[in-house]
Amino acid sequence: MNPAAGGAGARNIAMQGLWRDNPIFRQVLGICSTLAVTNLVLNTVVMCVALVFTVSLSSATVSALRAYTPRNIRMMVETLIIAFYVIIVDVVLGAYWPSMRANLGPYVGLIITNCIVMGRCEAYGNANPPGGAFLDGFFNSLGYTFILLIVATFREILGMGSFMGMAMPFFSGPGWDRWIIMVMPPGAFFMLGVVVWVFRWIQQSREEPQK
Amino acid sequence: MRQTGAYPVAYMFVVTAVFSSVIIGFAAVTRERVQANARLALEKAVVEALPGLYEPGLSSIEIHNRFVEQVTEPDASTGGAYTLRKGGQIVAYGLPFEGQGFWAPIRGIIGIAADKRTVTGIAFYEQTETPGLGAEIVRPAFRGQFEGKVLAVKGKPINMRRPGTPLGDNDVYAVTGATQTSVRLEAIVNRAVQEWQAQVGKEGSAP
Repeated sequence: MNPAAGGAGARNIAMQGLWRDNPIFRQVLGICSTLAVTNLVLNTVVMCVALVFTVSLSSATVSALRAYTPRNIRMMVETLIIAFYVIIVDVVLGAYWPSMRANLGPYVGLIITNCIVMGRCEAYGNANPPGGAFLDGFFNSLGYTFILLIVATFREILGMGSFMGMAMPFFSGPGWDRWIIMVMPPGAFFMLGVVVWVFRWIQQSREEPQK
Repeated sequence: MRQTGAYPVAYMFVVTAVFSSVIIGFAAVTRERVQANARLALEKAVVEALPGLYEPGLSSIEIHNRFVEQVTEPDASTGGAYTLRKGGQIVAYGLPFEGQGFWAPIRGIIGIAADKRTVTGIAFYEQTETPGLGAEIVRPAFRGQFEGKVLAVKGKPINMRRPGTPLGDNDVYAVTGATQTSVRLEAIVNRAVQEWQAQVGKEGSAP
C-alpha cells in the first residue's frame, strides 16, 4: 500500500481537495461550467457526478501510465485519457437519459476542457501512485461539487421558486417575485462571487488565530 | 524512458488505439437504445405539432402510445407527412422538415390542418443551436407563435420578422440574437412546405 492512499495521507488529500485548496474558491478553476450548469440543481448534480467520475479515473489512469508515458507527449496522452472518460459519460447519458443530455447541451463534452481535470492530472496524477491520484481527483471534484450545489440551490430557489423541480413553499407563491436574473448567466456571476467571498472569509477567520 | 525517436509515436498510436476501441465498443453496445431514443424524439415532435394530442407532463410511454394509436405513418398520398385521422378523414398533417442550422442540422415537424394552410404547431426533434440564443427555438415562447398562422399562398409561406414589427397572418418573430438560426429555419420550413404543397396541391382558401 502506498503511503499517499493510507489513513493519514487520504485524510490530508481530502482536506486539500475539499477545503484548503478547493478548486472553486481557492484555485478558481472550472468556473466556466460553474456558471453554465448551476441554474437547476438536478442539472448540477448530474454534471458533478460526471465530473467526479472523469477527474478521479483520468487522474488515476494518468498515474498508472506515468512510468511509460514520455514526458514530451504527456499532455496529448492526458487529453486523450480525459476525452475517453468524458465520451463514455456522454454515450451513457445519450443512451439512458437523453433529456438530461439535451439539458446539459455542450457542457458534458466541455468537461474535457475543464481546468480541474487537466489540473489534477498534471499536478498530482503525473507524480503520484494511482490510488492517491484517484482520491485526489475524487476529493477535488467533491470540493467542486459542494460549491456548485450551494450556488445551484440558491439560483434555483431564488430564480425559479423550486428545488430539484419541486415547488418550494414560499418562493413559488405570489409573495415572491421570482428573480429571473438568478437563472440567467449573470445570476451565476453574482452567486459565485458571494460564495467565494463567504468561503474565503470563513477560511481566513479560521487561519487568523493560528498565526 | 526513451524520450525521442519512434517510441513516443508508437506509444501514442497504441494508447489511442486502445482507448478508441473501448469507446467504439461502448457506442456499439448502446446503439439500439440511442436509436430508440431518436425515434421517440421524432414521435414526440409529431405529437406536439399535431393538434390536440399533446399535453405537458406526458411520459415517454404515453407519448409513444398516442403516436401509435392516432398517428398514421407518411405515404405517397400525404406527400411524406404524418397524418392525424378521425373516422378516416384527415384532420391534420405533420410535415417533417430538415436542413442545415447554424451548427448542425435542424430537424422538426410542422403541423398543418386539413385545409393545408393553417399551422397547428411546430416542434423540433433534433437541433444543436447555440444554447440561450438559437436554441430558444425549442421553447414554447417561440414555437407557440406558429399555432393558428396561415401559410401564404404567394411568396414565402412563413415569414420571420424582426421582433417589434407588426405581424401578418403568416408572420412570426425571429429569435433575437440568433439571426443565422432564424434565417436558416425560415428557409428550411418554407422549402419543406413548398415542396409538400407541390405534391399534395394547394387548396387555397377551400376548406
